[in-house]
Amino acid sequence: MTVTTDPPTSDFALGVSGWGVLSPYGLGADEFTAGLRTGRDGTVDAAALTDEAVPDPRAYGLAGFRARDHLGRKGTSFLDRRTAFAVLACGQALADSDLVVGDDNRDRVGVVLGTNVGSLQSTSDYSRDTLVQEKPYLVNPILFPNTVLNCAAGQAAIWHQLRGVNTTLAGGGMATLAGLRYAMTVLRRGRAQALLVGAVEEYTPQMAWAEHATAAAPTTVGGEGGAVFLVEDAAAMRAAGRDPVAEIIAVDLGHTGDRGDLATALADRVRRVLAQAGVAAEDLATVVTSGAAAEERALDEVVGPDADRVAISDLAGNCPTAAGALQVAAVLAHHRGAPEHDGCLSLIVASTVDGAVGAAVLKGAGRAARDHR
Amino acid sequence: MNRRVVVTGLGPVSSIGIGIDAFTTALRAGRSGITPIASFDTSGFLTDRAGEVHEFAPDRLLTRLDPAEWGRSSLFAAAAARLALTDAGATDVPDRSDRVGVCMGTTSGESQVVERLTEHWLAHGYPGTPQRLARQLPAGRVAEAVSRELGLTGPALTVSTACSASNYALGYAFDAIATGEQDYMVVGGADSVCRWAHAGFYRLGALAAERCAPFDQDRAGVITAEGGVALFLESLDSARARGARVYCEVLGYGLTCDAKHPTAPDATSVARCMRLAHQDAGVKPDEVDFICAHGTATPANDTAEYAAVREVFGDRLPPMSSVKSMLGHTMGAASGFSALAGALAISAGFLAPTINHVTTDPAMTGLDVVPNESRPEQPRIVQVNGFAFGGNNAITILGRLA
Repeated sequence: MTVTTDPPTSDFALGVSGWGVLSPYGLGADEFTAGLRTGRDGTVDAAALTDEAVPDPRAYGLAGFRARDHLGRKGTSFLDRRTAFAVLACGQALADSDLVVGDDNRDRVGVVLGTNVGSLQSTSDYSRDTLVQEKPYLVNPILFPNTVLNCAAGQAAIWHQLRGVNTTLAGGGMATLAGLRYAMTVLRRGRAQALLVGAVEEYTPQMAWAEHATAAAPTTVGGEGGAVFLVEDAAAMRAAGRDPVAEIIAVDLGHTGDRGDLATALADRVRRVLAQAGVAAEDLATVVTSGAAAEERALDEVVGPDADRVAISDLAGNCPTAAGALQVAAVLAHHRGAPEHDGCLSLIVASTVDGAVGAAVLKGAGRAARDHR
Repeated sequence: MNRRVVVTGLGPVSSIGIGIDAFTTALRAGRSGITPIASFDTSGFLTDRAGEVHEFAPDRLLTRLDPAEWGRSSLFAAAAARLALTDAGATDVPDRSDRVGVCMGTTSGESQVVERLTEHWLAHGYPGTPQRLARQLPAGRVAEAVSRELGLTGPALTVSTACSASNYALGYAFDAIATGEQDYMVVGGADSVCRWAHAGFYRLGALAAERCAPFDQDRAGVITAEGGVALFLESLDSARARGARVYCEVLGYGLTCDAKHPTAPDATSVARCMRLAHQDAGVKPDEVDFICAHGTATPANDTAEYAAVREVFGDRLPPMSSVKSMLGHTMGAASGFSALAGALAISAGFLAPTINHVTTDPAMTGLDVVPNESRPEQPRIVQVNGFAFGGNNAITILGRLA
């Protein structure tokens, strides 16, 4: 293979101006931050999430979550759980940010959400109806949009009246990094002013069993939730006198291309992303992995033992799509209301079993929770 | 860096032809790919036609992937990508594989895998979920299949913005190459025919029984369809340096979101998307010679699309045809096939027709749908429309290399 040099991409950084998160620790950045700091067990009895038998009696679930409790009764009855999560997390991120969205800029504020398969429950139930109804076409037309992968992002746009770039990226555990990489390109090209980037996933028996059957995960405990980050051009934010709560300095994605092993491909990406960010491995304070063994091997090779390592599967269980977003949220929580962590550098790595790899470098600022208001 | 971006390879896996030569011949001839459904039992359905790719034989098209390990949509994507790479004469490019990115669109990902899993769960319950199917489930595999088939180590993104996803992918690739993030991009989209989409479109009142007749006064809706499509993109400098044949240049694109309704299109938002695309491409409406319409043949889409075109173009409407009349609605691949029609309009000198056309909707004055027969023309600038559920509008602008 010909060796080529990477183009300079670090001349553009994403500034995070606000974020929202849904996790077993609670709904919102403050609740998540507090939960992380106490380090309490976030699992709940899976019976609180579904009446069906599931592969593991515990789950990192949002027990008791009802869309109408947070979004009102109007318009929520047909939202699937994942879509409700997305609408709520986007709303939290907007509320956490000092960016004012109004008629002068709503055409330039958008949504970039990651997913795995959309709502497997919605699609599988729809498919099931074609088999069990008296006639195969007797499905509910109102629920048809829920079978499409972009349902959540489209509803988030409707709910929050955001008419800018609206994109859904399928990538499971890689989807959040893919969204951040995509957002960098879109913002850098001036196609939007601000983007809500993140991923959410719902706990359902269908997905719990499907994830379990792949036998690819480091844990059998299922999970759900996710996080959304409002990202903008960091330099433009600063020029306007606004301090981001964190900067995402570089994001680099790749694939094994079925040419080598995952750990080698990821190690290569980590070296590149560090070079793009102008950061030495020894400067990293924290590394957040998705929990896959191959990621640990790559990090042993490139980053060494000094940085703290957090495996997000300990917080999210076997729920790669939500976990990818919670990886970023965990870094932001580390900084939230903690100015002593100012300027700390973190690395996030992710991968899929089929060979996608990615890494991002974040620099946190110590802005206290909502102290910009 | 702001490099010019060109299309140098095309790879269709469609109901009217596999490979660019067969596809071009069929498109020029206005052939229909709509046939009785073979992939599922249509007993009880009131309509039984779709645009299935009966001739798809993944093992004959693929070099590296094992078809048994991948869902149909991923196989469509990988096969289309293999064809596009070959068509681009870029088979040596993977030696610089890190500089090749992948971005593929899909509406429903591995919908047939979901259906097989659902059948299994219905018959046997959840325990014992087949591992083979569970592993094929992630929609992100649509792009990853391309990476693995072609041995590409650059980024692999799957855009799942429903039926405009291929245009999103094309737009992203345009940006990635223009900025120097990537040197080459394999883009496109793929989807598979499935029972639930057939049922859902029917219940929305958006499924035609016999034929898809966009912009016709008697249009009755979509015919569900499938396929894979890929385009190979590179910088103009790269194409010139290796002496590649250039189909067309990608001039720009626009994205908007309706933020209004999950399924109903919004003409105002579509018009804004057109203006953004024109502005990005640096073209004026009167410079657009041909529009490859989204043209689903649902009453709502075609009315909104016409209204938007009228709003942006005024009294001078370019010819506007829909390949969905031939292919049916290939969902995540749809705007990719439209982009192929646009690229071929520029490179091969013909406007693809809207077949099944009898009478243009009388509300659509001044509309030329290129009825029933392709037309020799030498368009310079082509607009490719892609709209979707979720209000995800994406429009790309292609141009003759000047």
